[in-house]
Amino acid sequence: MELRYPSFLPFSLLRNEAKLHTFGTTFLDSDNGPDSSLLCRELKWLVEDTIEDHSVLSQMSIENGKRSVRLRAGVEDLYNMWKQRIEERKPFQYIVGCEHWRDLVLSVQEGVLIPRPETELIVDLVADVVSENEDLREGLWADLGTGSGALAVGIGRILGSRGMVIATDLNPIALSVAAFNLQRYGLQDIIELRQGSWFEPLKDVEGNIAGIVSNPPYIPSDNISGLQAEVCRHEPKLALDGGLTGMDYLFHLCNGAASMLKPGGLFIFETNGEQQCKCLIKYLESDLRGSFCNVDIVSDFAGIQRFLIGFRQQQT
Amino acid sequence: MTDQELMRQCEMDTFKASGPGGQHRNKRESAVRLKHLPTGLIAQAVEDRSQHMNRASALARLRTLLALNVRSSVDLEAYSPPPELLRILPPKSTVRPSDTGPQIGPNNPKYLLGMQALLDVVFAVEGSVAEAAKFLGLSTGALSRLILANDSLRMAVNELRTSKGMKPLK
Repeated sequence: MELRYPSFLPFSLLRNEAKLHTFGTTFLDSDNGPDSSLLCRELKWLVEDTIEDHSVLSQMSIENGKRSVRLRAGVEDLYNMWKQRIEERKPFQYIVGCEHWRDLVLSVQEGVLIPRPETELIVDLVADVVSENEDLREGLWADLGTGSGALAVGIGRILGSRGMVIATDLNPIALSVAAFNLQRYGLQDIIELRQGSWFEPLKDVEGNIAGIVSNPPYIPSDNISGLQAEVCRHEPKLALDGGLTGMDYLFHLCNGAASMLKPGGLFIFETNGEQQCKCLIKYLESDLRGSFCNVDIVSDFAGIQRFLIGFRQQQT
Repeated sequence: MTDQELMRQCEMDTFKASGPGGQHRNKRESAVRLKHLPTGLIAQAVEDRSQHMNRASALARLRTLLALNVRSSVDLEAYSPPPELLRILPPKSTVRPSDTGPQIGPNNPKYLLGMQALLDVVFAVEGSVAEAAKFLGLSTGALSRLILANDSLRMAVNELRTSKGMKPLK
């Protein structure tokens, strides 16, 4: 279906910017949601994503509707999408169907957690470790709770042809989205998807895993309803709710890593921050004493101590 | 210096970090602003929708700023152009050893270091292209052309020349 519209139509959507400024800080004040400058930016991205030929973007305001542009969605659809954004607080990424993350564009939809910029750092941490460790680079890696497949694709590209990644998730919607994303980046031969809970689908490789990465749900249950509407109304609770303290699955991952990793194998887990990381370190030193070594906390770019990293103790 | 080492010297200050971030938050403020603490230089990138990409762009811009603004003093009495500078000079330069390899241009990542060393010389001779050319084994015209071939380099040299009351290169 060919959709051609006078170019002023999608750009009149941008003139909604004026109305957006009346929103000001309404969402920001109510639940720490987006302010008007962020909404304007999203609107611009929405229009950009809809226009097929991006070269017309530079001539936007000059031509005044004299030429027509090809759109991937009708102008009415655009208005409706934007209405959903403002009225229902539907996440921008679900509306455009994708998120730009690291150097990738990942498909996302309702039912799948939108990959966070903080999580980008995990891929860099993996790259650092394998650059000096041939053994881990050529090993089997696991991305637990893969969601959109972000981490699996990210580390799959680092490991190249000699490594392997198994990505697991409980949710079949997530697995179908991850499948799409890993194919989009040509990683079908490197990444295998398995459905199931955490380590359950990995019993056959127990003790042989070179590295485990995960961004498990880590928000305390009671905090979820207080989050910005985009997150608590639309993103899957399954990917966010970590139980009373938010740490249910983090503990579970630590317990599992102690036996699932091969000696010298690496784990990296994303957490809520300093408190959770410190609590986990205490746990590793007490209940899992002797299982791990070189355990460390790595901060994200906002200075929050977000990542717990460590290695399974070599057996003597 | 690796990207990582350079990042460690910087403060990334786009974060009006409200709250714990991570899973809690869906507000894509992908713009990145880096402040290089040792020098105070600031580089930013806002174009991309991914923070990671903007970080990479900002770092690249910072490297250019460092090359343009951080000067090392040069001993003109005993001057010998360093290898990184030799690599950006054209082959006809009389101080360029034959095993230097092909001349590298602005798109080569190593170009910045050469540009930085070239600016050190130009600053040491107070903006005189004729004087600098002598140290680099080139004619004045050849050095002029080299400088004019790169916008950042040209602007930095002309800024110096203007401040010394000289005419800008054209």
